[in-house]
Amino acid sequence: MIRFEQVGKRYPNGHVGLHELSFHVRHGEFLFVTGHSGAGKSTLLRLLLAMERPTSGRLLLAGQDLSSITTAQIPFLRRQIGVVFQNHQLLFDRSVFDNVALPLKILGLGKDEIARRTLLALERVSLHDKAEQFPADLSTGQQQRVGIARAVVHQPALLLADEPTGNLDPRLAAEIMKVFEDINRLGTTVLIASHDLALIARMRHRLLTLQRGRLIADGEAA
Amino acid sequence: MSDSNLPEPRPSERVGALPRAEVKSAEPDFATLLVAWLDSHRASLVDSLRRLGRQPVGSFLTCLAMAVALSLPMGLSLLLDDIARLGGSWQRAAQISLFTTLDVDDAAGERLRARIAALPEVAEAEWIGREQGLEEFQRQSGLGEALRGLPENPLPGVILVTPRQIDKAGLETLREQLADLSGVQLAQLDLLWVERLGAILALGERFVFGLTLLLVLALLLVIGNTIRLHIENRRSEIEVIKLVGGTDGYVRRPFLYMGTLYGGGAGLLAWLVLVYGLGWLNASVLSLAGLYGSDFALGGVPLEDGLSLLLGAVLLGYVGAWLAVARHLSELAPR
Repeated sequence: MIRFEQVGKRYPNGHVGLHELSFHVRHGEFLFVTGHSGAGKSTLLRLLLAMERPTSGRLLLAGQDLSSITTAQIPFLRRQIGVVFQNHQLLFDRSVFDNVALPLKILGLGKDEIARRTLLALERVSLHDKAEQFPADLSTGQQQRVGIARAVVHQPALLLADEPTGNLDPRLAAEIMKVFEDINRLGTTVLIASHDLALIARMRHRLLTLQRGRLIADGEAA
Repeated sequence: MSDSNLPEPRPSERVGALPRAEVKSAEPDFATLLVAWLDSHRASLVDSLRRLGRQPVGSFLTCLAMAVALSLPMGLSLLLDDIARLGGSWQRAAQISLFTTLDVDDAAGERLRARIAALPEVAEAEWIGREQGLEEFQRQSGLGEALRGLPENPLPGVILVTPRQIDKAGLETLREQLADLSGVQLAQLDLLWVERLGAILALGERFVFGLTLLLVLALLLVIGNTIRLHIENRRSEIEVIKLVGGTDGYVRRPFLYMGTLYGGGAGLLAWLVLVYGLGWLNASVLSLAGLYGSDFALGGVPLEDGLSLLLGAVLLGYVGAWLAVARHLSELAPR
């Protein structure tokens, strides 16, 4: 599914984001990427979303080389990835339904199909009764679940999450992780960048540990 | 840690690959895509209208600024057309004055007039005898008493020739032909004022053209700046749209509708400004023309000119928005 082959990322100011990173993620896997601030977690996610390009090595996503992807191909790549952010990135002038339906509208699905899938995604995160509300009316945890619903509504093969529980208390964080596991059970590959080691340890999934852009450990969280 | 010995991902592992049963429902057919595309355009249009409606004063003032910029060159162009029309009617009334020698009396003058009137290039010819000319001169010049003191009538007979052709070359040829006639002392064709008017109109047209270019540029800047502000206000939305796979075209669409709506609004306002502005001016023009015994009036805004103005404004709005979004799209990459 994901293959990093000696991937390096050096910024124009000389800062090295990633050092010859190599690993492989199989289809349907659930894994965490952890490390301190500046370890390269966000850089890794940005490379997978084609927000940045590697400066060396090869990065393959389902066989497609993201090092050489064209600008025109990027939207179509992103349509097949779901992404969840720590700060939700919700549109506060649109209802919960419209926020979640956005990827489907971009895909060009019909109204009925959009409604069906959006309500299904909201049901998955237990927010189907909040469809007509606006994000500002929801709690932080609920907003995060709206973000997750939006990330999975178009049934992506890969779900990326950047510190999805960063703003949540432990109980809410556990709830959100449960949602991710449910999504993973449906066949979606899930990659979560997090520095919440206690939470990661409880989950017992594969864990990649980064330090200053290098992969220093790859194994099951203990 | 490196896992380079693992096999290449299977096609079924491709990003977005879904089980066959789900693929059928995931990939919409052409009709569904078309309906969704039209739906998306309708939604963009409605959304743009709603956003403009949320700031009615600001939107109106933007349209008004554009309308003023549009109506200036269009109004000047319409006025020039009217002046050209006026000049054309005067030119059509251009006459060649044939001054006869003093020995041509009324009978000879009338024969000469008939001969000239028979020419194919001549529409009309009128004989004004020496005595009739003197009477008219006395009446119009106010020098009646002084002229009565002259020992003999110094004025020659005149034949006023109205030509059929109105082009300068044709008139000049006819003048030369008439000047060669026996009994004709002088053939006078005064087209200098027509030439001057033509030169002034040409200068005016060039001025309007230059002004139009400048104002089109100003309009593009106005619309570009307005759209830039809309883009800034929707930056986070655009970033999200791009993150979830929105193409540049998808991002651009609502702004193109907004530019088009601004252009359409400005075009309609400019049309109204011109109709009422020229109508207001026409009252004074009618009164001035009346003093010269003319029924000349401004032509107003012909329907085709109004429609051209509206279409041009819509196009300008669209192009301005397109340029603004193209200019800022690269800055709108998700962060």
